[in-house]
This record gives sequence, structure tokens and C-alpha cells, in this order.
Amino acid sequence: MGSKANRPELIVDGKRLDGRALDELRPLKIEASVLKNADGSAYLEWGNNKVLAAVYGPVETQPKHMADPSKAIIKCRYAMAPFSSLEEHGRTGPNRRATEISKVTKEAFENVVLLNEFPGSMINIFIEILQSDGGTRVAGITAAAVALASAGIHMKDLIYAVAIGKVGDALILDQNMIEDNYSDADMPIAIAPRNNDVLFLQMDGDFSKEELKRSIDMAIESGKVISKVQKDALRHVYQKAAERYESE
Amino acid sequence: MKNIVLPGDNLPEINGRSPYAYTEEGKNYAMVLGVYDAERQSIVPLEGVWNPRLEETVVGIVTSVKNSVYEVDLRFYGRALIIGGKFERFSFKIGDVVEATIKNIEDRKTIILSFPRLLSGGTLITVKPAKIPRVIGKDNTMIKQIAESANSRIVVGKNGLIWIKDGNVALATEAILRIQEEAHVSGLTERIKKMMENNAR
Repeated sequence: MGSKANRPELIVDGKRLDGRALDELRPLKIEASVLKNADGSAYLEWGNNKVLAAVYGPVETQPKHMADPSKAIIKCRYAMAPFSSLEEHGRTGPNRRATEISKVTKEAFENVVLLNEFPGSMINIFIEILQSDGGTRVAGITAAAVALASAGIHMKDLIYAVAIGKVGDALILDQNMIEDNYSDADMPIAIAPRNNDVLFLQMDGDFSKEELKRSIDMAIESGKVISKVQKDALRHVYQKAAERYESE
Repeated sequence: MKNIVLPGDNLPEINGRSPYAYTEEGKNYAMVLGVYDAERQSIVPLEGVWNPRLEETVVGIVTSVKNSVYEVDLRFYGRALIIGGKFERFSFKIGDVVEATIKNIEDRKTIILSFPRLLSGGTLITVKPAKIPRVIGKDNTMIKQIAESANSRIVVGKNGLIWIKDGNVALATEAILRIQEEAHVSGLTERIKKMMENNAR
């Protein structure tokens, strides 16, 4: 992690290191239903982040004692591939960080998935980070939402997540690894776009009340773009098939 | 192309109580990935698990036998049981493929089956449960057409398992898997008809 002493100039003339404006997202690309064996899946590229998400379920709960007769349970596994990062993040096996991210991801989805529809069952979400460049937990949630929808799971909304950072007095949207390491604060946030409910919010560092308000507005504004990419990815799967066969 | 809806999409109008839509503050929203049928004001899901209903025909594999209670694997998250009695004469072995009708559903996850029938031999294929209605077709037209052209015996389980025996099994399988792939594209009946005619000889 960086410290203030050796921090590079993160913002020069209102532009960031990679030439983006302060409130500009990295290029985002999502492909839905990429894995045949899974019930639902998605592949996401967000800047240099590459994420694969797969959903299995609802299936019989294993181990059985975890089953809840009144509703379904969600299990989530976030993992970084050993080759995903230059730093120690990518070491194999579950660790403190991966366990935490799995937990918060699961809890974000528990708010939107209609668990009562499948009592006694289990929904498995797998998020695998193939390449990381800052903001992988929000990339994971954004991909997993698409995977859940493509599995036909009953959900209230198609959620997205994005991170906001702070460098000096400036707020930056969707920071990459360098910005993440040297920023004064960062805040990943997951939002349900239908009524802009905040489903998950973590904060590392300090935001003032004003900054918090502004950053949530920034997140909601950027969410319009993210939501559109998510929805287009899902529609594209069926439109592609339609184009292929309708002409026959 | 039909109108695809996604979870959270606002719907103009919904007919009665749809299992794939919900209402909040007077507005209707979709719950699943599906196609919105404006005429019927309902959603037809494109993906998803099977939702068991009474009287439905299912196909499954016997996984355990205990005191004339047979547990059947229906590719469903709950359990499915065939309960034998004094007057019912059937006996199955583990691994047998059976066809049965749903008699009762307890707690939405334990299915009690009745009228079990052994399906011996044949091939078992898995299809996404959401596509089964298209495989069957309106008034069984689609499945009848496939069975006639391929000269096969076909039993379609609503749970997504299909049993095929005799005749041109490969052709029947190909047709069914093609329906799964193209279920949402209009003009499907014509394409399948053409395919079966071309291959029937």
C-alpha cells in the first residue's frame, strides 16, 4: 500500500493518471451466459479487471443442517486467481479479505433476491477474479447480478456496484489500483437502480457529510451507464439467437 | 423480436397475480428474465428452475429405496417420493427411470408422486425447465410432430427430463435441443417442421 510520502500526482489539470475525467468510468464490457454448465454466468471486463461470475441454483442445500425451511439461502465465494494480481491479494485459498468480500456480497444480494420463492434451497454464487486492477469487489457484484438474472433467479432488481475515492479534496469515480492504493479514502457502494436503495456501503478513510452525499450522487449517475451495459448484455444473448435463426 | 424484460423493469399492465411479477406502490415490476406478452399481460420466463404444480407429469431417477418408499431425483432442490402401499403393486430398483404424476406438494418442497410407471431402456436427456412448454407445444403439437417424424416414444417430464426410446433417437434429441436453443425466436414450429421433414427419409 502507498503512503502520502511517496504518492504520485494522481490528478493533473483535472485529469487522472489514465486520462479520465474525475467522474468518468473505465470502459465496461459484460457478456452474459458464457458458461454452459452453470445455470447462469457472466464475464465482465472493467478497465483492466477481468471477472467471471457463475450461479448455480436453486439447488438442494448442502450441508443439510444449513437449510432454512422458510426461505432459500445464498452462498457466495469470492476468490482471486493466483495470477490475478501483482500483490499478495492473489494468493490462493480463502483468506481474511476474500471471506469478508464474500460475506458483504452475499448480504447485498439477500436484499434483492426473493428468497421466499425457493424455501429450503440454496443459491450458489461464485466470483472469480482473473485479473485485478482495483475495485474488484464492485466488479464482482456487478457481474454476479448479471449471472443471477441469467440463471432466472427471482429478483426485485438488477443491482450494480461502483467505488468512489477521494484524493485531496477531489472525489474520483471508479478508481484503478494506483488510485486505490494512494487515495485518501475509498467507498465501494452497491445500489438497486429501481429506487436507488443502497444495499451495501463500505468506507475506508474519511468522507465529510457533504462529500458522502456528493459521492452517492456520483455513483447513482454512473449507475445509469453500468445498468445499461448489464441489461444490454442479457438482452444480447437472446437477440443474437433470434438473428441467427429468424433468417432461416 | 419479442419484448425482453429484466428484473426490476417497469411493466405497463399485469394480468391478475403473476408469479413472475410483483407490485410495489401501485407499480408493476418484473421479477425474472423473460418475455413480456402485451396481449395476455403476462411474463413468460426465459430461464429458471421448475415450479412444481399438481397433476404435472414428471420423469426422474430412483435414488433410494426404503420400506417401499422410493426417493426420486427430479433435478429439483426439494425431495420427491413415491410411497408404496398395500394395494399398489410396483417395485423399482435404484437407477430406474420412472414417469409419475404429482399428487401432492408439501411445504413447497416435498413432492408426493402417484401412478409411477417404469421407463425401461431408452435415453434420458436434460432440458432447461423453462423451455419445456415450447418442447410440448400448444396441445402437444410440437412433441407429437417430433415423435411421429422420428418414430420414437417420448415422455416429457415438466421438471426438465425427457425420455426417448426407439426410432431415430438422435433426430428427436437434436430437435428437442434445438427447441431449447431457439425457444424464444418466432417461427419455431415452421423451422422444426422443416428440419424433421428433411431428416425423416
